[in-house]
Amino acid sequence: MREFALPLSKADLMRVESPARYVGGEYGAIVKEDMLDELEKEGKTSYLRFAFCFPDIYEIGMSNLALQILYHVLNESPFVACERAFSPWKDMDAILREKKIPLYSMETKTPLSKFDVLGFSLGYEMCYTNVLQMLDLSGIPLLSEERGEDDPVICCGGPVTYNIEPMADFFDVVMMGEGEEMILELCEKIREYKLSKDTDHPITREEMLYNCAQIEGVYVPCFYDVSYSKATGACVKPNREGIPETVTKRIIKDLDTVSYPTNPVVSNMRVVHDRSYLEVFRGCIRGCRFCQAGFIYRPVREKSEPVLCRQGMELEKNTGYDEMGLLSLSTSDYTQFPKLATDLLDTFEGHHTSLSLPSLRLDSFSLDLMEKVQSTRKSGLTFAPEAGTQRLRDVINKNIREENIFSALELAFEGGWSTVKLYFMLGLPTETDEDVLGIADLAKRIEQLYYDVGRRTGQKMRKPEITVSTSLFIPKPFTPFQWEKQDTKEELIRKQRLLKDNLRSRNIRYAWHDFDSSVWEVVLARGDRRLSPVLLEGYKSGLFFDAWDDQFKLPQWMEILEKHGLTVEDFSREYSEEETLSWEHISVGVTKKFLLSERHKAHAETTTPSCREKCSGCGVTCFGVGECFKEKVKGGVSYAAE
Amino acid sequence: MRQSDVAKMMTMQDHQTAYVQRCTFARSGPAIYLGHLDLMTCFERAARRAQLPILYSQGYNPRPEMVFALPLGVGIETRKDYLDVSLDRPFDEEEFVKSMNTYLPQGIRILKSKAIPEPKDSIMSIVTTASYRFEAPGIRAAMEKALSFESLEVEKMAKGKLKKTDIRPLLISLSQASDGNPDAVDFYCGAGSEKNVRPDLILSSLQVYCGMDKEIAENTRVIRTGLFSGTYPRITPIDEVEVVCRNS
Repeated sequence: MREFALPLSKADLMRVESPARYVGGEYGAIVKEDMLDELEKEGKTSYLRFAFCFPDIYEIGMSNLALQILYHVLNESPFVACERAFSPWKDMDAILREKKIPLYSMETKTPLSKFDVLGFSLGYEMCYTNVLQMLDLSGIPLLSEERGEDDPVICCGGPVTYNIEPMADFFDVVMMGEGEEMILELCEKIREYKLSKDTDHPITREEMLYNCAQIEGVYVPCFYDVSYSKATGACVKPNREGIPETVTKRIIKDLDTVSYPTNPVVSNMRVVHDRSYLEVFRGCIRGCRFCQAGFIYRPVREKSEPVLCRQGMELEKNTGYDEMGLLSLSTSDYTQFPKLATDLLDTFEGHHTSLSLPSLRLDSFSLDLMEKVQSTRKSGLTFAPEAGTQRLRDVINKNIREENIFSALELAFEGGWSTVKLYFMLGLPTETDEDVLGIADLAKRIEQLYYDVGRRTGQKMRKPEITVSTSLFIPKPFTPFQWEKQDTKEELIRKQRLLKDNLRSRNIRYAWHDFDSSVWEVVLARGDRRLSPVLLEGYKSGLFFDAWDDQFKLPQWMEILEKHGLTVEDFSREYSEEETLSWEHISVGVTKKFLLSERHKAHAETTTPSCREKCSGCGVTCFGVGECFKEKVKGGVSYAAE
Repeated sequence: MRQSDVAKMMTMQDHQTAYVQRCTFARSGPAIYLGHLDLMTCFERAARRAQLPILYSQGYNPRPEMVFALPLGVGIETRKDYLDVSLDRPFDEEEFVKSMNTYLPQGIRILKSKAIPEPKDSIMSIVTTASYRFEAPGIRAAMEKALSFESLEVEKMAKGKLKKTDIRPLLISLSQASDGNPDAVDFYCGAGSEKNVRPDLILSSLQVYCGMDKEIAENTRVIRTGLFSGTYPRITPIDEVEVVCRNS
């Protein structure tokens, strides 16, 4: 591979934290030589130049599976050349601004403004302002309406784009759902536009956007208008003929045949998740009512076991990573999980490669498996009961029962485990002080169980380490709780104190999540277009990297929000079931009717079985594939501990 | 198997004979911004991709047996650095170089490799001297002036505290390599576990004692050009040092 000169001096790079973030040169990075030749000879290229942008630092972006998947999908296309770009941390941001050096791509060090498309991967709301930072550092107009024929097309995708309204003013094109097919269809339309510029009949930017809006799953915000009313909510409607009223997300029907990167870019420097990833399935058979992922990724589609084994083998060889993570929303729910785990461990025999197994259900098989894969020290066991009482677990449809937790822990304690992490949420709908105290009670009884096991078996027991972690409930679009209110910060702080005061034990540690960011997250998660000017002003006053607790400044955001005539209460309040939600013109396949019935069941403290046991009619049968069409298992699966 | 059994088995395991490849490697380009730990990981992963029969260390956290002669700091290029890679069987030298180079990231290259018996002395322990080249406007005069001082005190961070240290005794001598070029200078200095001097400390001494501009110092191209064993001037490049076998 050719080497490209960095636009920064050595002194600049030596002045920042982790300069390796900004230099590229990784094993597996792709540069299209043909394109470079064309550029050299003719000063332009017929390739569509795509900059895959991740609005957070390199170490986080390089741990992102969507980046690796789409980078390869795009580069496999004979007419697209895709490169990567990341948010520079504040030290580098300052240097780029001071020296007027435009933000550049990792591969060929090309300024992003020279690309035809910038595609942002949006995994969390708090990264929105970093999108603006990356555009700004590239000298690209921030507002979609200010961009002209010569500016790149700015698009995005990812789980938070289902309610992209707060960012609607900045994006030209939004992709809803899984991108492997859609992104290439989009590239084709944009390339037509690019190539037509040199002909007698150039396509205008508006025509190109209109063409893009014809692609299934593509949402072009400027072709929709919003009307607001206190009574009916925020209603988003197309403002011209030929634009769909509802945009339905795209899914990949067959995960066995879709492109999967078994030769990803391997970072030279340590990143957040320093391992290879094997994606096992998409979707989740459980319907925890607070969990957005559980609804937006439906229906469940599995890869077949032989395909996974082959991909796992290739990944291990091609990357050289000594750890492989099995990725899904609940790995134990993979129908052939025991076989897959055993086959992979056999394949890795003698290679010093370990398996990382997040989100496992604890039973004797998984405990055995963990003994095998954790040849090193025994790390902790993690459970996510999410709520402290059975009543509240029924409300949120977390189908885990106390008996299950205790029987699994008994096995684990007998096997020598002594570290347990418990995850809960505070502020869930219908939560009372009794539920909060239930968390403390559960933790204490687990501590008691530990000593009981020791007494019964006569084992010498170490001091146990029990960690209770609480995060804060945030009502998210496309969940049964999308209408629920969020507790005020004061109320959440009170509940957290109540819990803390009741968790006094030498063996129990309590960790809690930052309150400020949750207050803001709900605004962005359920926000509408009135937030675009707020985000713009916030960014311009120096607010970005909001996903970093030490950078996030809630008081400043509050001030700006108020200045624009809005309050947190506008978005944290309980929404009426009658009003139109600002994301209703988007469909993830799950119907509003189903979400409503789930909400009502929640308030009646009634649970809903998993998709594997019984179809509850959520609506995703419209995609015609997956778990919905499989034979139902009587008794199904017992519970979901991670 | 229970944790305690694993431990037992590991301590019982006999020492396996290692077939060592003593590699000479270079790095330039983007790879110079990697820290030493990251550089080590790059070599490990390349060896794994190449499916070479690497030996792993014993214990709870087995690592590939790779020993670097001297850590390479962030921002330093190298033309000749060394590492020992332990394999579980004899391996063709050229084949080894070819495989590794196919799988190393941009800017890191193995120049040659020599199959040696398992050495008695670790490659780290035999390094005494390094040679460097600095390239920057006016660097030769600055360096010549620095050598005329009796002592060169600079501040360095040690255990979280700033500490004064005299690096003058560690600067050995200029070499002839770049004579005549005012913007480049080649020199020998102490290196290794006993008496080591980091190039960035030399550059800060040039700022303090020779009035070198900060920006120029920070932009100086730093190239490690060799590592040696022995006492100056009787020094031998690491790859030419005769290896005493561990078992002899």
